[in-house]
Amino acid sequence: MSSKRFRTGRRAGAYRRPRPAYDSFVLYDVAWHARMSHVLSGALGIWGVAGTIGPDPEDANGFLIAPRTGPEIRVCHDASAGWAVTLRDPASGEEVGLGQHPGLPGLLRRLREELAPDAPAGRLVVGAQQMLGRDAGGR
Amino acid sequence: MAAVPVSVITGFLGSGKTTLLASLLRDPALARTAVIVNEFGEVGLDHLLVEASDEEIVLLDSGCVCCSVRGDLVRTAGSLLARRAAGAIAPFDRIVIETTGLADPAPILHALMTDPGIADSLYLESVIATVDAAAGVATLDAHPESVKQAAIADRIVVTKTDLGDPAANGLAERLHALNPAAPKLTAVHGAIDASRLFGGGMYDAQGSDVRRWLAAEAVPHDPVDHGHDHAAGRHDGAVTSFCLRRSTPLRAVTLTLFLQVLAEHCGARLLRLKGLVDVLESPGRPAVIHGVQHVFHPPVWLDAWPDEDRTTRIVVIALGLDPLWLKALLDALDVEVAALQMRATTDAGVLSTRKE
Repeated sequence: MSSKRFRTGRRAGAYRRPRPAYDSFVLYDVAWHARMSHVLSGALGIWGVAGTIGPDPEDANGFLIAPRTGPEIRVCHDASAGWAVTLRDPASGEEVGLGQHPGLPGLLRRLREELAPDAPAGRLVVGAQQMLGRDAGGR
Repeated sequence: MAAVPVSVITGFLGSGKTTLLASLLRDPALARTAVIVNEFGEVGLDHLLVEASDEEIVLLDSGCVCCSVRGDLVRTAGSLLARRAAGAIAPFDRIVIETTGLADPAPILHALMTDPGIADSLYLESVIATVDAAAGVATLDAHPESVKQAAIADRIVVTKTDLGDPAANGLAERLHALNPAAPKLTAVHGAIDASRLFGGGMYDAQGSDVRRWLAAEAVPHDPVDHGHDHAAGRHDGAVTSFCLRRSTPLRAVTLTLFLQVLAEHCGARLLRLKGLVDVLESPGRPAVIHGVQHVFHPPVWLDAWPDEDRTTRIVVIALGLDPLWLKALLDALDVEVAALQMRATTDAGVLSTRKE
Protein backbone atom coordinates (compact mmCIF):
# COMPACT_ATOMS: atom_id res chain seq x y z
CA MET A 1 0.00 0.00 0.00
CA SER A 2 1.26 3.41 -0.85
CA SER A 3 -0.24 6.77 -0.14
CA LYS A 4 2.23 8.75 -2.23
CA ARG A 5 0.91 10.70 -5.15
CA PHE A 6 1.90 9.56 -8.60
CA ARG A 7 0.94 10.55 -12.10
CA THR A 8 -1.05 7.90 -13.84
CA GLY A 9 -0.33 9.37 -17.28
CA ARG A 10 -3.90 8.90 -18.32
CA ARG A 11 -6.75 11.22 -18.88
CA ALA A 12 -10.37 10.81 -18.05
CA GLY A 13 -12.35 9.03 -20.69
CA ALA A 14 -9.26 7.62 -22.36
CA TYR A 15 -10.59 4.11 -21.96
CA ARG A 16 -13.11 2.19 -19.97
CA ARG A 17 -11.61 -0.34 -17.67
CA PRO A 18 -13.23 -3.72 -18.28
CA ARG A 19 -14.53 -5.37 -15.13
CA PRO A 20 -16.18 -8.69 -14.44
CA ALA A 21 -19.42 -8.47 -12.48
CA TYR A 22 -17.79 -10.66 -9.86
CA ASP A 23 -14.63 -12.51 -9.19
CA SER A 24 -14.31 -15.67 -7.16
CA PHE A 25 -14.72 -13.85 -3.86
CA VAL A 26 -16.53 -10.56 -4.37
CA LEU A 27 -19.93 -10.21 -5.96
CA TYR A 28 -20.25 -6.73 -7.40
CA ASP A 29 -24.00 -6.74 -7.44
CA VAL A 30 -26.54 -4.00 -6.91
CA ALA A 31 -26.38 -4.52 -3.15
CA TRP A 32 -22.59 -4.07 -3.15
CA HIS A 33 -22.86 -0.81 -5.08
CA ALA A 34 -25.69 0.50 -2.92
CA ARG A 35 -23.86 -0.42 0.28
CA MET A 36 -20.58 1.17 -0.78
CA SER A 37 -22.31 4.27 -2.06
CA HIS A 38 -24.05 4.62 1.30
CA VAL A 39 -20.80 4.14 3.21
CA LEU A 40 -19.02 6.78 1.15
CA SER A 41 -21.83 9.33 1.23
CA GLY A 42 -22.27 8.84 4.96
CA ALA A 43 -18.56 9.36 5.48
CA LEU A 44 -18.72 12.65 3.59
CA GLY A 45 -21.48 13.77 5.94
CA ILE A 46 -19.49 12.82 9.01
CA TRP A 47 -16.47 14.75 7.76
CA GLY A 48 -18.64 17.75 6.92
CA VAL A 49 -17.86 17.58 3.21
CA ALA A 50 -20.61 18.71 0.83
CA GLY A 51 -20.62 16.66 -2.32
CA THR A 52 -22.08 13.74 -4.20
CA ILE A 53 -21.25 10.10 -4.78
CA GLY A 54 -22.04 8.50 -8.10
CA PRO A 55 -21.03 5.53 -10.18
CA ASP A 56 -17.75 5.95 -12.03
CA PRO A 57 -18.64 6.03 -15.73
CA GLU A 58 -15.22 4.62 -16.53
CA ASP A 59 -15.12 1.76 -14.10
CA ALA A 60 -17.91 -0.65 -13.34
CA ASN A 61 -16.60 -1.23 -9.82
CA GLY A 62 -15.80 2.38 -9.13
CA PHE A 63 -17.33 5.48 -7.62
CA LEU A 64 -16.87 9.11 -8.41
CA ILE A 65 -16.71 11.43 -5.42
CA ALA A 66 -17.51 14.97 -6.42
CA PRO A 67 -17.05 17.45 -3.58
CA ARG A 68 -18.70 20.82 -4.01
CA THR A 69 -15.27 22.38 -4.11
CA GLY A 70 -12.03 20.82 -5.25
CA PRO A 71 -11.11 18.03 -7.59
CA GLU A 72 -13.04 14.84 -8.04
CA ILE A 73 -11.80 11.59 -6.58
CA ARG A 74 -12.28 8.21 -8.19
CA VAL A 75 -12.24 5.10 -6.05
CA CYS A 76 -12.20 1.75 -7.82
CA HIS A 77 -12.26 -1.69 -6.31
CA ASP A 78 -10.33 -4.62 -7.62
CA ALA A 79 -10.92 -7.83 -5.72
CA SER A 80 -7.28 -8.84 -5.78
CA ALA A 81 -5.71 -5.45 -5.12
CA GLY A 82 -8.23 -3.49 -3.07
CA TRP A 83 -9.15 0.14 -3.52
CA ALA A 84 -7.36 2.43 -5.94
CA VAL A 85 -7.78 6.13 -5.20
CA THR A 86 -7.25 8.68 -7.95
CA LEU A 87 -7.52 12.45 -7.96
CA ARG A 88 -8.79 14.01 -11.14
CA ASP A 89 -7.99 17.57 -12.16
CA PRO A 90 -11.32 19.03 -13.26
CA ALA A 91 -9.70 21.35 -15.80
CA SER A 92 -7.22 19.15 -17.55
CA GLY A 93 -8.74 15.79 -16.75
CA GLU A 94 -5.31 14.58 -15.76
CA GLU A 95 -5.29 12.02 -12.99
CA VAL A 96 -3.00 11.62 -10.01
CA GLY A 97 -2.91 8.36 -8.15
CA LEU A 98 -3.29 8.68 -4.39
CA GLY A 99 -2.54 5.11 -3.50
CA GLN A 100 -3.87 1.62 -3.23
CA HIS A 101 -5.59 0.39 -0.09
CA PRO A 102 -6.39 -3.24 0.57
CA GLY A 103 -9.44 -2.49 2.70
CA LEU A 104 -12.19 -0.05 3.49
CA PRO A 105 -10.56 1.37 6.66
CA GLY A 106 -7.52 2.50 4.65
CA LEU A 107 -9.72 3.89 1.91
CA LEU A 108 -11.77 5.95 4.34
CA ARG A 109 -8.64 7.26 6.05
CA ARG A 110 -7.16 8.32 2.72
CA LEU A 111 -10.36 10.04 1.65
CA ARG A 112 -10.62 11.92 4.92
CA GLU A 113 -7.02 13.08 4.64
CA GLU A 114 -7.70 14.32 1.14
CA LEU A 115 -11.18 15.75 1.50
CA ALA A 116 -11.30 16.88 5.11
CA PRO A 117 -7.81 17.10 6.56
CA ASP A 118 -9.10 19.13 9.48
CA ALA A 119 -11.88 16.71 10.42
CA PRO A 120 -11.42 15.13 13.85
CA ALA A 121 -9.53 11.87 13.70
CA GLY A 122 -9.28 9.54 16.65
CA ARG A 123 -7.99 6.09 17.24
CA LEU A 124 -9.39 3.10 19.04
CA VAL A 125 -8.18 2.80 22.61
CA VAL A 126 -8.79 -0.40 24.51
CA GLY A 127 -8.47 0.41 28.16
CA ALA A 128 -6.81 -1.54 30.92
CA GLN A 129 -9.88 -1.80 33.11
CA GLN A 130 -11.99 -4.93 32.91
CA MET A 131 -15.73 -4.56 32.64
CA LEU A 132 -16.61 -7.05 35.34
CA GLY A 133 -16.82 -6.23 38.99
CA ARG A 134 -15.58 -9.63 40.02
CA ASP A 135 -13.92 -12.37 38.12
CA ALA A 136 -16.48 -14.85 36.87
CA GLY A 137 -14.02 -16.73 34.74
CA GLY A 138 -15.12 -14.89 31.67
CA ARG A 139 -12.09 -12.68 31.22
CA MET B 1 -8.96 -7.40 47.49
CA ALA B 2 -12.11 -6.98 45.39
CA ALA B 3 -12.21 -4.12 42.92
CA VAL B 4 -14.08 -1.07 44.16
CA PRO B 5 -17.13 0.03 42.16
CA VAL B 6 -17.09 3.61 40.96
CA SER B 7 -20.23 5.55 40.12
CA VAL B 8 -20.21 8.92 38.42
CA ILE B 9 -22.96 11.43 39.18
CA THR B 10 -23.34 13.98 36.45
CA GLY B 11 -26.00 16.54 35.58
CA PHE B 12 -26.30 20.17 34.57
CA LEU B 13 -25.76 23.09 36.92
CA GLY B 14 -28.54 23.26 39.48
CA SER B 15 -30.00 19.90 38.57
CA GLY B 16 -29.60 18.56 42.10
CA LYS B 17 -26.45 16.46 42.01
CA THR B 18 -25.16 17.64 45.34
CA THR B 19 -28.55 17.37 47.03
CA LEU B 20 -28.86 13.84 45.73
CA LEU B 21 -25.37 12.95 46.89
CA ALA B 22 -25.90 14.47 50.33
CA SER B 23 -29.09 12.48 50.72
CA LEU B 24 -27.45 9.29 49.57
CA LEU B 25 -24.59 9.64 52.01
CA ARG B 26 -27.07 9.74 54.85
CA ASP B 27 -28.30 6.30 53.81
CA PRO B 28 -26.70 3.68 56.08
CA ALA B 29 -26.34 1.39 53.08
CA LEU B 30 -23.83 3.84 51.61
CA ALA B 31 -21.94 4.52 54.82
CA ARG B 32 -18.73 3.09 53.40
CA THR B 33 -18.55 5.46 50.44
CA ALA B 34 -15.71 7.73 49.45
CA VAL B 35 -16.62 10.82 47.45
CA ILE B 36 -14.63 12.73 44.89
CA VAL B 37 -16.09 16.10 44.00
CA ASN B 38 -15.02 17.93 40.86
CA GLU B 39 -16.05 21.56 41.12
CA PHE B 40 -15.88 24.44 38.72
CA GLY B 41 -14.85 27.86 39.89
CA GLU B 42 -12.15 29.43 41.93
CA VAL B 43 -13.71 28.37 45.20
CA GLY B 44 -15.39 25.03 45.45
CA LEU B 45 -18.54 25.16 47.52
CA ASP B 46 -20.61 22.14 46.70
CA HIS B 47 -18.57 19.83 48.87
CA LEU B 48 -19.48 21.95 51.88
CA LEU B 49 -23.09 20.94 51.33
CA VAL B 50 -22.30 17.26 51.56
CA GLU B 51 -22.21 16.03 55.10
CA ALA B 52 -19.47 13.50 55.50
CA SER B 53 -16.15 13.34 57.20
CA ASP B 54 -13.45 15.35 55.46
CA GLU B 55 -11.28 12.39 54.88
CA GLU B 56 -13.99 10.72 52.83
CA ILE B 57 -14.50 13.67 50.52
CA VAL B 58 -11.79 14.74 48.17
CA LEU B 59 -12.16 17.95 46.24
CA LEU B 60 -10.80 18.19 42.73
CA ASP B 61 -10.54 21.90 42.21
CA SER B 62 -8.68 22.02 38.95
CA GLY B 63 -11.73 23.31 37.13
CA CYS B 64 -14.02 22.00 34.48
CA VAL B 65 -11.53 21.33 31.74
CA CYS B 66 -12.08 17.62 31.63
CA CYS B 67 -8.71 16.71 30.20
CA SER B 68 -6.89 18.45 33.03
CA VAL B 69 -9.14 16.69 35.51
CA ARG B 70 -8.15 13.26 34.28
CA GLY B 71 -4.71 13.23 35.84
CA ASP B 72 -6.05 14.64 39.09
CA LEU B 73 -8.82 12.11 39.18
CA VAL B 74 -6.53 9.15 38.68
CA ARG B 75 -4.08 10.46 41.27
CA THR B 76 -6.89 11.13 43.73
CA ALA B 77 -8.46 7.71 43.28
CA GLY B 78 -5.06 6.09 43.59
CA SER B 79 -4.36 8.08 46.73
CA LEU B 80 -7.69 7.04 48.26
CA LEU B 81 -6.89 3.40 47.61
CA ALA B 82 -3.40 3.72 49.04
CA ARG B 83 -4.66 5.48 52.18
CA ARG B 84 -7.34 2.84 52.60
CA ALA B 85 -4.77 0.07 52.30
CA ALA B 86 -2.55 1.81 54.86
CA GLY B 87 -5.46 2.23 57.24
CA ALA B 88 -5.08 6.00 57.13
CA ILE B 89 -8.76 6.54 56.32
CA ALA B 90 -11.93 4.69 57.10
CA PRO B 91 -12.39 1.70 54.85
CA PHE B 92 -14.75 2.22 51.92
CA ASP B 93 -16.52 -0.14 49.54
CA ARG B 94 -17.55 2.34 46.91
CA ILE B 95 -16.41 5.56 45.29
CA VAL B 96 -18.80 8.19 43.97
CA ILE B 97 -17.52 10.95 41.72
CA GLU B 98 -19.62 14.09 41.38
CA THR B 99 -18.74 15.98 38.20
CA THR B 100 -19.18 19.67 37.61
CA GLY B 101 -22.44 20.72 36.02
CA LEU B 102 -20.65 21.80 32.88
CA ALA B 103 -18.60 18.66 32.50
CA ASP B 104 -18.62 16.26 29.65
CA PRO B 105 -18.51 13.01 31.62
CA ALA B 106 -16.77 11.07 28.84
CA PRO B 107 -13.18 12.05 29.70
CA ILE B 108 -13.79 11.06 33.31
CA LEU B 109 -15.00 7.66 32.16
CA HIS B 110 -11.99 7.39 29.85
CA ALA B 111 -9.65 8.04 32.75
CA LEU B 112 -11.30 5.32 34.78
CA MET B 113 -11.29 2.87 31.88
CA THR B 114 -7.77 3.32 30.65
CA ASP B 115 -5.41 4.10 33.49
CA PRO B 116 -3.37 0.98 34.24
CA GLY B 117 -2.53 2.22 37.73
CA ILE B 118 -6.11 1.90 38.94
CA ALA B 119 -7.50 -0.63 36.46
CA ASP B 120 -7.16 -3.58 38.79
CA SER B 121 -8.49 -1.75 41.82
CA LEU B 122 -11.52 0.07 40.46
CA TYR B 123 -14.24 -0.61 37.98
CA LEU B 124 -16.77 1.71 36.47
CA GLU B 125 -20.14 0.62 37.77
CA SER B 126 -22.58 3.22 36.53
CA VAL B 127 -23.18 6.74 35.35
CA ILE B 128 -26.06 8.57 37.00
CA ALA B 129 -27.44 11.78 35.51
CA THR B 130 -29.69 14.22 37.33
CA VAL B 131 -32.22 16.26 35.38
CA ASP B 132 -34.34 19.04 36.83
CA ALA B 133 -38.06 18.31 36.34
CA ALA B 134 -38.95 21.97 36.15
CA ALA B 135 -36.13 23.36 34.04
CA GLY B 136 -35.02 20.17 32.31
CA VAL B 137 -36.64 20.75 28.93
CA ALA B 138 -35.24 24.26 28.66
CA THR B 139 -31.82 23.04 29.77
CA LEU B 140 -31.80 20.27 27.18
CA ASP B 141 -32.78 22.80 24.53
CA ALA B 142 -30.11 25.30 25.46
CA HIS B 143 -27.15 23.25 26.63
CA PRO B 144 -25.72 20.40 24.57
CA GLU B 145 -23.69 19.33 27.62
CA SER B 146 -26.90 18.39 29.41
CA VAL B 147 -28.06 16.31 26.45
CA LYS B 148 -24.80 14.42 26.47
CA GLN B 149 -24.95 13.88 30.22
CA ALA B 150 -28.42 12.34 29.97
CA ALA B 151 -27.58 10.33 26.86
CA ILE B 152 -24.52 8.72 28.36
CA ALA B 153 -26.13 7.73 31.67
CA ASP B 154 -27.04 4.28 32.94
CA ARG B 155 -29.68 5.80 35.20
CA ILE B 156 -31.45 9.12 35.04
CA VAL B 157 -32.77 10.76 38.20
CA VAL B 158 -35.43 13.38 37.62
CA THR B 159 -35.19 15.82 40.50
CA LYS B 160 -37.49 18.55 41.82
CA THR B 161 -40.63 16.73 40.75
CA ASP B 162 -42.43 18.81 43.35
CA LEU B 163 -41.78 21.79 41.08
CA GLY B 164 -42.60 20.26 37.73
CA ASP B 165 -44.36 17.29 36.21
CA PRO B 166 -42.00 15.56 33.76
CA ALA B 167 -44.89 13.78 32.05
CA ALA B 168 -46.86 16.95 31.52
CA ASN B 169 -44.05 19.22 30.38
CA GLY B 170 -42.58 16.77 27.91
CA LEU B 171 -39.41 16.00 29.84
CA ALA B 172 -40.24 12.32 30.30
CA GLU B 173 -40.73 11.87 26.58
CA ARG B 174 -37.52 13.73 25.79
CA LEU B 175 -35.50 11.64 28.19
CA HIS B 176 -36.96 8.42 26.87
CA ALA B 177 -36.11 9.42 23.33
CA LEU B 178 -32.59 10.42 24.37
CA ASN B 179 -31.77 7.31 26.32
CA PRO B 180 -34.49 4.68 26.20
CA ALA B 181 -32.44 2.01 27.95
CA ALA B 182 -31.74 4.00 31.11
CA PRO B 183 -34.26 3.59 33.96
CA LYS B 184 -35.86 6.91 34.91
CA LEU B 185 -36.11 7.50 38.66
CA THR B 186 -37.40 10.46 40.60
CA ALA B 187 -36.09 12.21 43.68
CA VAL B 188 -37.59 15.04 45.70
CA HIS B 189 -35.04 16.89 47.82
CA GLY B 190 -32.62 14.12 46.98
CA ALA B 191 -34.72 11.40 48.57
CA ILE B 192 -34.28 8.17 46.69
CA ASP B 193 -33.82 4.50 47.45
CA ALA B 194 -30.08 3.98 47.05
CA SER B 195 -30.55 0.36 46.09
CA ARG B 196 -32.31 1.48 42.91
CA LEU B 197 -29.51 3.82 42.02
CA PHE B 198 -26.40 1.76 42.41
CA GLY B 199 -25.55 -1.71 41.29
CA GLY B 200 -26.08 -0.86 37.63
CA GLY B 201 -22.84 -2.41 36.51
CA MET B 202 -22.23 -5.81 35.10
CA TYR B 203 -21.00 -7.61 38.19
CA ASP B 204 -20.43 -10.93 36.56
CA ALA B 205 -21.00 -12.70 33.31
CA GLN B 206 -24.31 -14.24 34.28
CA GLY B 207 -27.31 -13.86 32.06
CA SER B 208 -29.49 -11.51 34.04
CA ASP B 209 -26.63 -9.08 34.57
CA VAL B 210 -25.76 -8.93 30.91
CA ARG B 211 -29.36 -8.58 29.77
CA ARG B 212 -30.10 -5.83 32.27
CA TRP B 213 -26.89 -4.02 31.43
CA LEU B 214 -27.43 -4.20 27.68
CA ALA B 215 -31.15 -3.35 27.85
CA ALA B 216 -31.42 -3.84 24.11
CA GLU B 217 -35.13 -4.48 24.42
CA ALA B 218 -35.67 -0.92 25.55
CA VAL B 219 -34.16 0.54 22.41
CA PRO B 220 -36.50 0.99 19.44
CA HIS B 221 -36.09 -1.70 16.83
CA ASP B 222 -36.85 -1.76 13.17
CA PRO B 223 -40.22 -3.46 12.78
CA VAL B 224 -39.00 -5.15 9.62
CA ASP B 225 -36.27 -7.65 10.42
CA HIS B 226 -34.43 -8.73 7.31
CA GLY B 227 -32.19 -11.16 9.11
CA HIS B 228 -29.38 -8.85 10.07
CA ASP B 229 -31.00 -5.54 10.34
CA HIS B 230 -30.57 -2.28 12.13
CA ALA B 231 -33.09 -0.82 14.47
CA ALA B 232 -34.45 2.57 13.66
CA GLY B 233 -33.68 5.18 16.26
CA ARG B 234 -35.34 8.10 17.86
CA HIS B 235 -33.93 11.56 17.79
CA ASP B 236 -33.41 14.38 20.23
CA GLY B 237 -31.68 17.00 18.17
CA ALA B 238 -28.72 15.13 16.89
CA VAL B 239 -28.74 12.34 19.48
CA THR B 240 -29.88 8.97 18.22
CA SER B 241 -30.40 5.69 20.06
CA PHE B 242 -30.63 2.51 18.10
CA CYS B 243 -29.82 -1.17 18.15
CA LEU B 244 -27.95 -2.91 15.36
CA ARG B 245 -29.12 -6.49 15.17
CA ARG B 246 -27.52 -9.24 13.18
CA SER B 247 -28.57 -12.85 13.01
CA THR B 248 -25.41 -14.16 11.35
CA PRO B 249 -22.12 -14.36 13.27
CA LEU B 250 -19.62 -11.58 12.84
CA ARG B 251 -15.99 -12.28 12.09
CA ALA B 252 -13.66 -11.12 14.85
CA VAL B 253 -11.65 -9.08 12.36
CA THR B 254 -14.81 -7.38 11.13
CA LEU B 255 -15.76 -6.39 14.65
CA THR B 256 -12.29 -4.99 15.31
CA LEU B 257 -12.24 -3.03 12.06
CA PHE B 258 -15.77 -1.74 12.69
CA LEU B 259 -14.78 -0.36 16.08
CA GLN B 260 -11.56 1.05 14.64
CA VAL B 261 -13.40 2.90 11.88
CA LEU B 262 -15.95 4.26 14.32
CA ALA B 263 -13.24 5.41 16.72
CA GLU B 264 -11.23 7.00 13.95
CA HIS B 265 -13.96 8.86 12.12
CA CYS B 266 -16.73 9.42 14.62
CA GLY B 267 -15.29 8.82 18.06
CA ALA B 268 -16.59 12.08 19.46
CA ARG B 269 -20.07 11.31 18.15
CA LEU B 270 -20.20 7.89 19.73
CA LEU B 271 -21.56 8.66 23.17
CA ARG B 272 -21.92 5.07 24.18
CA LEU B 273 -21.79 1.65 22.55
CA LYS B 274 -22.76 -1.56 24.31
CA GLY B 275 -23.01 -4.89 22.63
CA LEU B 276 -23.43 -8.60 22.85
CA VAL B 277 -21.77 -10.04 19.78
CA ASP B 278 -21.95 -13.46 18.17
CA VAL B 279 -18.38 -13.90 16.97
CA LEU B 280 -17.83 -16.48 14.25
CA GLU B 281 -14.59 -17.77 15.72
CA SER B 282 -16.13 -18.19 19.18
CA PRO B 283 -19.31 -20.21 18.71
CA GLY B 284 -21.54 -20.31 21.75
CA ARG B 285 -19.37 -17.81 23.63
CA PRO B 286 -20.53 -14.30 22.79
CA ALA B 287 -18.43 -11.23 23.41
CA VAL B 288 -19.58 -8.30 25.50
CA ILE B 289 -18.25 -4.98 24.27
CA HIS B 290 -18.56 -1.53 25.82
CA GLY B 291 -17.17 1.80 24.72
CA VAL B 292 -17.49 5.48 25.47
CA GLN B 293 -16.51 7.48 22.40
CA HIS B 294 -13.22 6.00 21.15
CA VAL B 295 -12.31 4.22 24.39
CA PHE B 296 -13.39 0.62 24.95
CA HIS B 297 -13.09 -1.93 27.69
CA PRO B 298 -11.36 -5.15 26.75
CA PRO B 299 -14.11 -7.48 25.52
CA VAL B 300 -15.52 -10.01 27.95
CA TRP B 301 -16.15 -13.50 26.61
CA LEU B 302 -19.18 -15.13 28.16
CA ASP B 303 -19.31 -18.85 28.80
CA ALA B 304 -22.76 -19.04 27.23
CA TRP B 305 -25.52 -16.87 25.80
CA PRO B 306 -27.50 -15.15 28.54
CA ASP B 307 -30.86 -15.99 26.94
CA GLU B 308 -32.51 -17.71 24.00
CA ASP B 309 -31.80 -14.77 21.73
CA ARG B 310 -28.58 -15.62 19.90
CA THR B 311 -28.47 -12.55 17.70
CA THR B 312 -25.81 -9.91 17.86
CA ARG B 313 -27.16 -6.78 19.51
CA ILE B 314 -25.17 -3.56 19.47
CA VAL B 315 -26.83 -0.65 21.26
CA VAL B 316 -25.56 2.73 20.15
CA ILE B 317 -26.23 6.19 21.51
CA ALA B 318 -24.69 8.69 19.17
CA LEU B 319 -24.63 12.30 18.11
CA GLY B 320 -25.63 12.67 14.50
CA LEU B 321 -24.88 9.17 13.28
CA ASP B 322 -27.23 7.48 10.83
CA PRO B 323 -28.12 3.92 11.91
CA LEU B 324 -28.33 2.90 8.27
CA TRP B 325 -24.80 4.14 7.69
CA LEU B 326 -23.50 2.07 10.58
CA LYS B 327 -25.29 -0.97 9.24
CA ALA B 328 -23.91 -0.40 5.73
CA LEU B 329 -20.41 0.03 7.16
CA LEU B 330 -20.64 -3.16 9.20
CA ASP B 331 -21.96 -5.14 6.23
CA ALA B 332 -19.35 -3.71 3.86
CA LEU B 333 -16.53 -4.56 6.22
CA ASP B 334 -17.83 -8.08 6.74
CA VAL B 335 -18.13 -8.71 3.00
CA GLU B 336 -14.60 -7.41 2.50
CA VAL B 337 -13.12 -9.46 5.34
CA ALA B 338 -14.94 -12.59 4.15
CA ALA B 339 -13.52 -12.14 0.66
CA LEU B 340 -9.99 -11.61 1.95
CA GLN B 341 -10.19 -14.65 4.21
CA MET B 342 -11.58 -16.82 1.41
CA ARG B 343 -8.82 -15.66 -0.90
CA ALA B 344 -6.15 -16.33 1.70
CA THR B 345 -7.54 -19.81 2.34
CA THR B 346 -7.65 -20.57 -1.37
CA ASP B 347 -4.13 -19.25 -1.94
CA ALA B 348 -2.85 -21.34 0.95
CA GLY B 349 -4.52 -24.39 -0.57
CA VAL B 350 -2.93 -23.73 -3.95
CA LEU B 351 0.50 -23.34 -2.37
CA SER B 352 0.02 -26.53 -0.40
CA THR B 353 -0.98 -28.42 -3.56
CA ARG B 354 2.06 -27.10 -5.42
CA LYS B 355 4.39 -28.23 -2.66
CA GLU B 356 2.95 -31.69 -2.84
